Amino acid sequence: MARIQLENVKKSFGKVQALNGISLDVKDKEFFVLFGPAGAGKTTILNCIAGINLPEEGMVKFNNEIVNLVDPAHRNVAMVFENYALYPQMTVYDNMAAALRSNLYKTDEATIKEKVHVAARMMKMENLLERLPSQLSNGQKQRVAMGRALVRTPNVFLMDEPLAHLDAKLRNAMRTELKEMQANLGSTCIYVTHDFMEAMALGDRIAIINKGEIVQIGSGDEIYYMPCNEFVAQLMGDPQINIIPGTIKEAEGGYVFCFEANGEKLTVSMPEDKELWKKIRETGLKNTDMGLRPQNVKYSFTPEEGYFKTTVYSYESIGNKSVIMAECGEYQLRMIAPNGLKIAIDQDIYVRFEIDHSMFFDPQTKEYVSRYDEETIREFAAEQEVK
Amino acid sequence: MNNGKKRLGYAAQNLLLIVYAIFALFPLVWMVIISLKSDAQVFTTTFAFTPTLANYKEVLLRSDYTSYMIDSLIISGGSVIVSVLVGVPAAYALARYNFHRKEDLAFQILSFKFAPEILVVLPLFMIYQKLGLYDSYLGLIWVYQLISMPLLIWVVRGYFEDISVEIEYAAQVDGYTWYQIFFKMLVPLIKPGLVSAALLAFIFAWNSFTFPLILAGRNIQPITVAITKYLGTDTAHYGQLAVAATVSAVPAMIFALCIQKHLVRGLSFGAVKG
Amino acid sequence: MGKNNSNKAEDLNRVPFKTRVRPYLIVAPSLIITIGIMIPFVMAIWFSLTNYSFKLPTHKFIGLRNWVEVLSSGAFWNALKVSLLYGVIATVVEMALGMGVAILLNNLNNKLSKVLRVLLVFPLMVAPVTATIVWQLMLNSSVGIVEKLLNVFGVYNFPWAASPSTALMTVVLIDVWVNTAFIILLVLAGLQSLPKSPFESAKIDGGSAWFNFINLTLPMLKPSLYIALLFRLMAALQEYAVIFALTKGGPGDSLMSLTLTAYQTGFRFQKFGFALPYILILWLVVNVAAKQIVKRQRAAQKQAAGLEE
Repeated sequence: MARIQLENVKKSFGKVQALNGISLDVKDKEFFVLFGPAGAGKTTILNCIAGINLPEEGMVKFNNEIVNLVDPAHRNVAMVFENYALYPQMTVYDNMAAALRSNLYKTDEATIKEKVHVAARMMKMENLLERLPSQLSNGQKQRVAMGRALVRTPNVFLMDEPLAHLDAKLRNAMRTELKEMQANLGSTCIYVTHDFMEAMALGDRIAIINKGEIVQIGSGDEIYYMPCNEFVAQLMGDPQINIIPGTIKEAEGGYVFCFEANGEKLTVSMPEDKELWKKIRETGLKNTDMGLRPQNVKYSFTPEEGYFKTTVYSYESIGNKSVIMAECGEYQLRMIAPNGLKIAIDQDIYVRFEIDHSMFFDPQTKEYVSRYDEETIREFAAEQEVK
Repeated sequence: MNNGKKRLGYAAQNLLLIVYAIFALFPLVWMVIISLKSDAQVFTTTFAFTPTLANYKEVLLRSDYTSYMIDSLIISGGSVIVSVLVGVPAAYALARYNFHRKEDLAFQILSFKFAPEILVVLPLFMIYQKLGLYDSYLGLIWVYQLISMPLLIWVVRGYFEDISVEIEYAAQVDGYTWYQIFFKMLVPLIKPGLVSAALLAFIFAWNSFTFPLILAGRNIQPITVAITKYLGTDTAHYGQLAVAATVSAVPAMIFALCIQKHLVRGLSFGAVKG
Repeated sequence: MGKNNSNKAEDLNRVPFKTRVRPYLIVAPSLIITIGIMIPFVMAIWFSLTNYSFKLPTHKFIGLRNWVEVLSSGAFWNALKVSLLYGVIATVVEMALGMGVAILLNNLNNKLSKVLRVLLVFPLMVAPVTATIVWQLMLNSSVGIVEKLLNVFGVYNFPWAASPSTALMTVVLIDVWVNTAFIILLVLAGLQSLPKSPFESAKIDGGSAWFNFINLTLPMLKPSLYIALLFRLMAALQEYAVIFALTKGGPGDSLMSLTLTAYQTGFRFQKFGFALPYILILWLVVNVAAKQIVKRQRAAQKQAAGLEE
């Protein structure tokens, strides 16, 4: 097992700058998640660590040793490829045994058999061992690809979207299993995903990648509650966070948040939070984008005190709950609702913000400024770090 | 009414197809028929005749025809082997690596396919005489690369491109060296394509005429050149002529049957993935 | 690696020499053979500017004299005409016939068509020289079955290759017999790889079969057709074996194509330098034609890709 470091790694393919100065320090035995939109450069980071790509600039270090010029075979990494990369001419068993049969990682057949069966059991595919990859479904192929990595005892597991093609039920089961397994094996693991739930559930730490750069590194909670900009806030969370443009104004010794909905000017008074007050004063924040998670937008179908009126734009189930979208003119509001409500499109709906859960961004730079209860969240994150 | 029209159209289409099939296949049948006729019956009978193997005996046992076949085999087989040994690694490089002027090189290799054979052969005739390669197996195998190598490289390159590059990465990560990956992982995967390309190259080489006509002399005579001798003489041994033609055509046809599935891809140099 | 700090940072970001040269190493053998075969091409250009002959002990540079003489001779223009006629007629007939048969095979999709898909390849595998023999056995006035057939219609001793007026037709016939299968195979593969969805939506729109063929099938088939055309035309312009085996260019000079004229000038008359301009011009024609076809093929491919969506 090893500590993996990247220092200012740059890599381009032709004219496309895939990685633009990536620095990472993945601790020994850490489960580290790379999270970001498609084409952000996540896979290229894995390839640089595996030695498949050599960066044009920067260092890759395993346990403080520079491994830039070590070829992939000698880096002792196990990798799960997004398109599985199974050897088509070999059975599942031989695929999984391939690494242990190479001259470099040579193991006796008895041990190989044992290891393959352990991994196969873990991946719930003992019945598939004699099949060829062409006889497998995508989900099964993916499990074989995982199994092929798990038979090894590498410096680091590199996993590129290893659960993406599994059905939902199996994916949930595997997620739990994977986390447990990693803890047991005590292995370093770098895991690429574009699924927010996976990133939150698995990662000791998460790095948000966008356009070949690291946007933010932190624990899942830290990133979820204190995203460093609107992009991260929107990426982390499903349904997506609401961004409401408005202004903060001083009133009666405190502050109020003024915004528009369907052309109507509205004002919400902001409960006191000393930290936040200080931040607003220091930064002179006036115009702002307020970020509010969908679960913090409350609704009612009858007029109520403190609620403002809008209309329903859509109502869709996302599994065990549903999302109501409400039309507010320049933007739409997402909010969580139970399944099975009788809601007609364009009917009236009354909405209230739980403003004491909101966060504030600079509307020009889109950078995070502050939020309610910032200190509590900081303390909580620090506690997790220690653990 | 409409139904009847449809059935008529269907019958007409079948009929047209059969007419073409007769045009394409009957000459071959006729060739075999004549090869089985005695010298006398060639002139007097059409379909009703007493088959005899006399012509086959005459051609295969009493003439040099078998030695011509062996010459054809050595030259065609030799050039295919050279093309495989040299062409497969080149095909891999052209499929996988991005190096300076790669496409130019690949196109250059292909362009030989379109070069008039005579244009190469005229200067080569002179060079070969100086180097002592004239009328030698080595010389012919060398020039036959014009036929077999472009085919092999272009077709096999396509098969390499069909293998996802991640498979190679996976094998690298699994601890295999480049050579092991090439021979253990990749060669088994391209084998069907390689075999069919090699057989097709063999057929092309076997059928080649211009090169051996000019660059081979007394010592070496592949079938295609030797057969013209039967043409020239007016001895009216049509049965023997038919045998010579049959024997020269049969190996190629058998090979073609073996590689049916890959034939289109091979014939179009990988441009059409049939 | 360890403590060796003399390694500059750049070295750590350079692909190791061994890996860098590997592509060149594995292409090298084929490159050497390629160059080996290139040499005659270059030499051909040089020798076309000399009076090289197997009869003379030495040769000297004579400038463009060979070229001028060739271009001003009637033989050259006749040869060019024969080559172009042969190439164009054979290709057009093969393309038309091959497309027709491929469409039939694709439409019928019955047992007959499945068997024929395999069998029709056979003529293509026959060497041109052998094919010539096959057809001599068919056309020969004493043993050929075609003659017997023609006798029924009162035609006796049809001259075929023996008369200047029918010789070209005869060689084209043999070429068509051999090579139509090539077009059939390529067009059939093209037809079978056509995407289904545009046809399904066309069915809903209710266009006639002919309308669909012109507006959907043909444009999507064009890339395959151009490839078939490329390969056939290039080969037909240079055809040599059939003519050589059948008549050696005769009767008279009726079949003296550029390739045959060059062969005869070079070897029979031993005027080597004088033979080369014929082929170099053929090479030029072939190259120009190939470039044009490749350009159109690419455009057609783009257009077809657009139709698929």
